[in-house]
Amino acid sequence: MIVPLIKGLALTIKRFLNPNTCVTMQYPDERPILAPRFRGLPELQIGKDGREKCVACGLCARVCPSQCISVEGAEDETNRRYPKVYELDAFRCIFCGFCEEACPVRAIILRDTFELATYDNKDVFDKEKLLDLTRKRNLPK
Amino acid sequence: MNPIHLTIDDKPIVSKEGTNIFQAALDNGIYIPGLCYHPKLSQFGGCRLCMVEVTERRTGHRFACAHPVSEGMIVKVNTPKVIRYRQSVMEYLLAHHPLDCPTCDKSGECGLQDVTHELNLFPGRFKTVRMDAPMIRDNPLLELNRNRCILCGRCVSACKEIEGLGAIDFQNRGIKTVIGTAFNRPLACSFCGGCVAVCPTGAWQDRTLGFKGRSWEFSKVPTICPYCPVGCTIILNTKMESVRRITSDDYLGINEGNLCIKGRFGHEFIHSPERIKTPLIRKNGELYPTSWDDAIEYIAKKFQQIKNEHGGTAIGGIGSEKCTNEDNYLFQKFCRSVLGTNNIDNMANIKSPALNGLIHESVIHGMTSASLKEIEHANTLFFIGADMTEAHPVAGNMARKAIRLNNANLIIANERGVQFNSIARNDIRLQYALGSQIILINALIKVIIDEKLVDLKKVETSTNNFDKLRSLIDKFNIEEASKITGVTQEAIRNAALLLTKPGNCYIICGKDIEENPLAEDAIRALMNLCALLNPAYRGDAGLGKVSLFFSRSHNNSQGVNDVGVVPGFFPGYVSTNDVSNKEKIEKLWGVKLPDEIFKKDAENVIDLALNGKLKALYIMGENLVVNYPNGKKIKEACKKVDFIVVQDTFLTETAQLADVVLPAATFAEKEGTFTNMGMTVQRLNKAIKPVGDAKPDWQIICSLAQKMGHSCSYVSTKEILTEIESISPMHAGINYDRLRRKEFHWASSVFSKNKSTRYTFSIVKPISSEIRKNKDFPFVLLTGASLNHQGTFSRHSKSLISVAPECFVEINKKDAQALQINNGDRVTIESAHNKLTLLAKVTSKLPERTVFVSEDYEWVPVNLLRDGVHTSVKIYKETV
Repeated sequence: MIVPLIKGLALTIKRFLNPNTCVTMQYPDERPILAPRFRGLPELQIGKDGREKCVACGLCARVCPSQCISVEGAEDETNRRYPKVYELDAFRCIFCGFCEEACPVRAIILRDTFELATYDNKDVFDKEKLLDLTRKRNLPK
Repeated sequence: MNPIHLTIDDKPIVSKEGTNIFQAALDNGIYIPGLCYHPKLSQFGGCRLCMVEVTERRTGHRFACAHPVSEGMIVKVNTPKVIRYRQSVMEYLLAHHPLDCPTCDKSGECGLQDVTHELNLFPGRFKTVRMDAPMIRDNPLLELNRNRCILCGRCVSACKEIEGLGAIDFQNRGIKTVIGTAFNRPLACSFCGGCVAVCPTGAWQDRTLGFKGRSWEFSKVPTICPYCPVGCTIILNTKMESVRRITSDDYLGINEGNLCIKGRFGHEFIHSPERIKTPLIRKNGELYPTSWDDAIEYIAKKFQQIKNEHGGTAIGGIGSEKCTNEDNYLFQKFCRSVLGTNNIDNMANIKSPALNGLIHESVIHGMTSASLKEIEHANTLFFIGADMTEAHPVAGNMARKAIRLNNANLIIANERGVQFNSIARNDIRLQYALGSQIILINALIKVIIDEKLVDLKKVETSTNNFDKLRSLIDKFNIEEASKITGVTQEAIRNAALLLTKPGNCYIICGKDIEENPLAEDAIRALMNLCALLNPAYRGDAGLGKVSLFFSRSHNNSQGVNDVGVVPGFFPGYVSTNDVSNKEKIEKLWGVKLPDEIFKKDAENVIDLALNGKLKALYIMGENLVVNYPNGKKIKEACKKVDFIVVQDTFLTETAQLADVVLPAATFAEKEGTFTNMGMTVQRLNKAIKPVGDAKPDWQIICSLAQKMGHSCSYVSTKEILTEIESISPMHAGINYDRLRRKEFHWASSVFSKNKSTRYTFSIVKPISSEIRKNKDFPFVLLTGASLNHQGTFSRHSKSLISVAPECFVEINKKDAQALQINNGDRVTIESAHNKLTLLAKVTSKLPERTVFVSEDYEWVPVNLLRDGVHTSVKIYKETV
């Protein structure tokens, strides 16, 4: 009984002392490489005219299984349909990607934002915040 | 009609002769795809989708909407060949369709979408050609997107057949065919929105929605329209506690999915920023917001004080024509039992005091036995003094249906040449001289008696007083009548002939008759006519029905009188003059009523106030200052009252005079029942929470009664209606829960109890009302209803204001020429009391020497000019 115990301990110590076989990611210092189809926070896309691509059709809100999206459409001066209110409650989002799949104009895409911790539980992602994610991404590096 | 037996998809079906396969399938719950057929419109056969396999003698393919059923027919809806055919039709339709479902408000309730899904279509074989036609938005309410149009023709038929307008039609031919107005002028119609309701795609849209929601997000609550007395069922589409739009349901209510501009677009007042959101109390001459507790306590203290010092009779109450039966019932109960006053009244009763008694009498004699929906089955329609197009547009739609399907005859008698578009083969217009209505009715009676158009022996045996009527009529000279009324003898004779034709005859008595000083005599004459026309005396062996409808002004003008907000009656027309009713009422209410309530002659509340006998006035949902026919008088009356409480949704002219204003909930925020002008009680459903601090009227009255030390602990409107049922004999048998499915028609239940009553002809002297001729004021001012506006609600509805921003004064062409007035000129009307400047509209509808101003534009105080029904005025052009 003693022998297998020592065998096991020996393996543990060997792993412990050898830095090359370490599997834990050193997260804040070390960033993970995300898969191309990683589903992070849904982001609202920006069209060529610099405005949101979203046409407030409401399909994302309808298809969302956790019902975290709420859209209020409105009509602008050019009679274009646009979302007056677009809110995404990230606390409820389960990152399933159905909204991206349902969107007829590719206005919402789940990208690589996954650091969503916040100090305030009233922090809902509204339209501007969701658009800002894309704006930042589009900035020249 | 013979029943026809056929089989559709192996289901045996019995249908009527003349029905088409589509309708037979629809009636039996079998679905056939189709985009152009609509049950309430004539068939068109344009979409080509409803192809079915039909075996009569041999098997072939037929269009279900265009093929009548026949005995032994076998129909198969979904054979592989039929489905393949339908798919190819859809491919053609979709080849031109822009497929902009994400931005189309129709998405989710679109017929084209449904059929596409059902047929499991994939991108078609054809190269798609998009039309890129510009959107037509030349009016504030409706928009037409021709790209989405599939040319089903439903809107064209709806406009022509239901609204009688034909404002839109097909233009061009072949592939260039589009829907449009004549010469592409801006759409100028009644804006009933019927085209939006029937459009299977998103071609016609309700612009007021403005992308504010998707069809699947709305919760849809059926309720009753708060405007005119027809009582259409409207569907409130709500999202997040706000009303976004109004739609209609073809299978709900009395209106078959037809609405007018007010019903469909006049809902924005519910969320108007001008609504009163908290109670207001006057301090140092200004109204300040306060809490409910403070306001109620203040009112209770004041009322109690006045009651102790001057007695309960020093308090007056005005009920509302726009509030529910339950609100009004509690209001009169509060006034009578808590305040101890019988000085209560409502606007409808003030304007035409004799009407309540007459309506009740006519119901007991079975003359008002039909509900409004039965107009659809009319064979003869007689509108006297009623402006159907402006005042009751949806009842007009029902009349047009009768004309289209039954070839109904139409007779319209009015002082003004009112507009009513119809295709009636026999369409007689009798434009009688001002005030000569009784003579016209008596002339009709004379023709009927003289020419023996009904069985006079039978009339004599089954009624009283017929010999007296006969002797009166014998003295009456028809030539003279023709001269006075200005209607030719021939026209009178033709009208009498049409009235006595077999079948259903429905007579609608309008406001022009009811609000005339001679109203009582005119209505009695009309009842005599009705009694003569009784089907039992006609040649057709008792088939058909005769019914007299009394037109009202507001959604619950009938109900407010039914539940007793009148000095003369307790709920259900139980007389207050009769002390024998005292015990019963006291037992039911559990209070002792003061003797003043049972005194004989009731005085007009406004007169009492004017004489300084009223110290307080409690006004519920009524803008008295604007709606009272004599503007000067009411203002003086209000000044003389020390303490005024107004309970309303907006800060109206009356509320501005009040000492306390209580915010009341609108129809969308409360439950209850409305009674329409056909005596049908229909139920409201609560769609949203009250806006701000507003409360339903019955709750406000309850808390006020409780504060004054009376038990008034109703939990719901159901309890109140149950109490109404126990107290009012005519509401017996009404059941609040059943009202959700089926409306209650009290006239027929009252009639069935009183069947044996014998009618006594009343002897009405054929006189015409006197029109004072005045040299300084040569014109006569007439007032009436307006299609686009009614009361405080329409005034705060943005869409209605955008369609009809200005009140016009209508003037005859000849007079206008003489005074050099053109369309759109600013003119001033001046009466002995006041003057008013409005825009002129030159018309040929009016008789000479008259001007017409609608009284439904609440911001135009027409009543300041008036001192009666026919006010003398002068009119002149405003010089810049």
